[in-house]
Amino acid sequence: MSLRRIAAVAERVLRQLRHDRRVLVFMLVLPAVAMILFGYSFSGDITGVRVAFVDEDDTDLTQTLRDNLRADSAFRLAELPVGQDPEQLLLEAGYQAVIRIPDKFTSLYYAHFAMGVATSAQGRIDLTLDESDPQIAATVQKGLADALMDLGEGGPVDVQVKDLYGVEVRFIDSFAPAIMGLVVALISTVLTLLSIVREKVDGTFARVWVSPVRRAEFILGYVVAFGAVALVQSLVVLSVGKLVFGILINGSIAWAFLCVILFAIGSVGLGTLLSALAQTESQAVVFFPLVIVPSVLLSGMMWPIQAIPPLLRPLSYLVPLTYSNRLLRAVMVKGLAPWQEPVGLGGLLGFVVLTIAAASLILRQRARGAE
Amino acid sequence: MTSPCESVFSARDVTKTFGAFRAVDGVSIDVPAGEIYGLVGPSGAGKTTLIRLFCGLAAATHGEARLLGHAMPGDRRAVESRFGYMPQEKAVYRDLSVGENLLFFGQIYGMDRQRIARRTTEILSLMRLGDRVRQRADSLSGGERQRLSLACALLHEPDALLLDEPTIGLDPALRAQFWDHFHALSKGGRTILLSTHYLLEAERCRRVGLMQAGRFIAEGTPAELRSAAASRAGRAVPDMEDVFLVLTASSEGAS
Ligand SMILES: Nc1ncnc2c1ncn2[C@@H]1O[C@H](COP(=O)(O)OP(=O)(O)OP(=O)(O)O)[C@@H](O)[C@H]1O
Ligand SMILES: [Mg+2]
Repeated sequence: MSLRRIAAVAERVLRQLRHDRRVLVFMLVLPAVAMILFGYSFSGDITGVRVAFVDEDDTDLTQTLRDNLRADSAFRLAELPVGQDPEQLLLEAGYQAVIRIPDKFTSLYYAHFAMGVATSAQGRIDLTLDESDPQIAATVQKGLADALMDLGEGGPVDVQVKDLYGVEVRFIDSFAPAIMGLVVALISTVLTLLSIVREKVDGTFARVWVSPVRRAEFILGYVVAFGAVALVQSLVVLSVGKLVFGILINGSIAWAFLCVILFAIGSVGLGTLLSALAQTESQAVVFFPLVIVPSVLLSGMMWPIQAIPPLLRPLSYLVPLTYSNRLLRAVMVKGLAPWQEPVGLGGLLGFVVLTIAAASLILRQRARGAE
Repeated sequence: MTSPCESVFSARDVTKTFGAFRAVDGVSIDVPAGEIYGLVGPSGAGKTTLIRLFCGLAAATHGEARLLGHAMPGDRRAVESRFGYMPQEKAVYRDLSVGENLLFFGQIYGMDRQRIARRTTEILSLMRLGDRVRQRADSLSGGERQRLSLACALLHEPDALLLDEPTIGLDPALRAQFWDHFHALSKGGRTILLSTHYLLEAERCRRVGLMQAGRFIAEGTPAELRSAAASRAGRAVPDMEDVFLVLTASSEGAS
C-alpha cells in the first residue's frame, strides 16, 4: 500500500472534476438548491410512533386515557412499570415519547370539575419528547390532546412538555442533515460510477490495472477525492441552511463532518459496485434513479419513517440514507456523539464495510474478465 | 536489468479461448532483450489478445506467458513497474490536460515531480506535442491523442514495451520519426513487442511474427519471411504486402 499512489489517484480524480465545469457547478450548486427547494414542510400520515406510557395513578380514568391513546394508529403504545427515567427510555430504549401520569392525577382531575374554575387544582401529565423530529413531536402532542378530549367531563389537564434536547427544533433544522446526506450520497455514487465506467470505456482502467496501483489504492484514491468533495458540499449545505433558514446546529460540526465522510466512503463503494454492472456511460445513467428515488422517498428525509406505509417500511432499512439521517440528526440536532446513535452508526459502518469489500472483489473480477 | 540470455517476452504453446473460440491458439514466442518484435496479421488474428496476455490483463487458458522472466498475470507484481503498455484504443484521460495525463502516469509509477517534469518535456518534444501541455486531451486531434497515449507508456522509461498499434493514424513523416525512436530505445537495451497493420513497418522490426486466426503462420526476420514467401510462390516477392498475402493465402489453403 502506497500513500503516494493513493494521493496520485485522488489528485487525478479531483483534477478531472475541476476540469469539468458542469460537474463542478452541479456539485456545488446542487447542495444549495436542494437545501432551498426542499426547505418546505412535508408530511404524511404518521403511524406507529413508539410511545412509552407510565401510569403511576392507575385508575379507571387513566386506563381509559391509555385505551384512547392505544386506539390512535399514530402510536405504538407500550405500558411500562413505574419508576423508569423518561430520558433513559428515550435515549436507550428507542422510545420517541414518554407519557407519565403522576399519582393523584385522577383526584385532581375530578376536583377541578367539582370545584369549578375557581380552583387552581389541575391534573398534570408529564410528556417527555424527542424534539429532534418536529413532525413526530407534533403528532404526539396532538394525539395526547385528542385522547384527553375524549375523556369527557373533567378539568383541563396541564400537559407539561419536556423536550429532551432543550430547544424547539423546526422541520428545517432536522432537514439540513438529510440534505447533506442526500447530496453527498448522490454526488459520490454517481460520479464514482461514471468515472470508473469511463475509465473502462477509454481503456485507462487497463493502464492503471497493469501499473503498480493496487485495487485498494485505486478505491482509496476515489474515497479521498470524494471525501474532500463531501466536506465542501456539507459546508455549502450548512452555510445555506444557516444564512437562508437560520438553522440551528446543536452538536459538534466536526462529528457531523466525520459522519458525512463515512457516508461518502460507502457511497464511493456503491458507485464502484454499480460500475461493474455498466459497460457504457449511458448504461450507467440507468442507475441514477435507483440511487435517488429510494433515498428521497424512504429514508425518513421528507417525512418520518413512521409516515411510510408499514408494508414499505422494511425497505427503508435497506436505504443507506436512512442510517445517515439518523446519525446526522443525532449528531447535529440532538448534539449527541455518534456512538449514542448506535443504529445509525452501525448501519453506516455496515454500509461502508459491505460496499467497499464488495467493490474490491468486483474490481478484481472486472480486471480479470476485462478481456 | 534483464540478463542477456533471458527472454524478455516468452510464451510456450500459449492458448487463450473465449468460450469455444480460440483467440490465441498454441503460440510460442521468444523475444530477447533489445529486440523489436512485430506482430502482424489480419484484423481479429489475436495480436491484441497476445499482448494482453503478456501484460497480465488476461490469463492464458493453457500455457504461460512470461514477461521479464515472470509468469503473467500470477507474478505481475514483480515486474509491474518495469514495462510500459499502450492499449490499442487511445487510452488517455480525455478530461485531463496533456501534462496532467503524464503527471498521473508518472506518479503512479513512483516518479518524483522533478523527473516527471524533465521526462514530460523530453517526451512531448519527441511527440511534437511540446506546445500542448495545457491542452485538454479531448480537444487533441486523433493522431495527437495517439501520441499522448504512447507518451504515457514511455514516460517511466521501462525495460519492456508492449505497444498495440502505436503508429496507427500517424502521417508517414511522424511514423518514420517514431521508428527512429524505437530503434534508439532498442539500442539502449529496451525490448519492444508491437503490433501493426502497416506491412512496411514490418521491415523495420528485427523479427516479425505473422499471425492468423490465433496462430503464428510464419516467424522470422523480414528477409527470412521474404524468402519463405518466394519459395512458396515460386517467384521473388520483394514487397512486404505480397509476402503477407502469399503466406496467409498458402496457410488458408493448408488448413
Ligand atoms: N473478450 C472477448 N470475448 C470474446 N471474443 C473476444 C474477446 N476479445 C477478443 N475476442 C476475439 O478474439 C479475436 C482476436 O481479437 P484481437 O483483438 O486479439 O485481434 P487483433 O489481432 O488485435 O485484431 P485488430 O487488428 O483488429 O486489432 C477476435 O475475433 C475477437 O473477436
Ligand atoms: Mg488489436
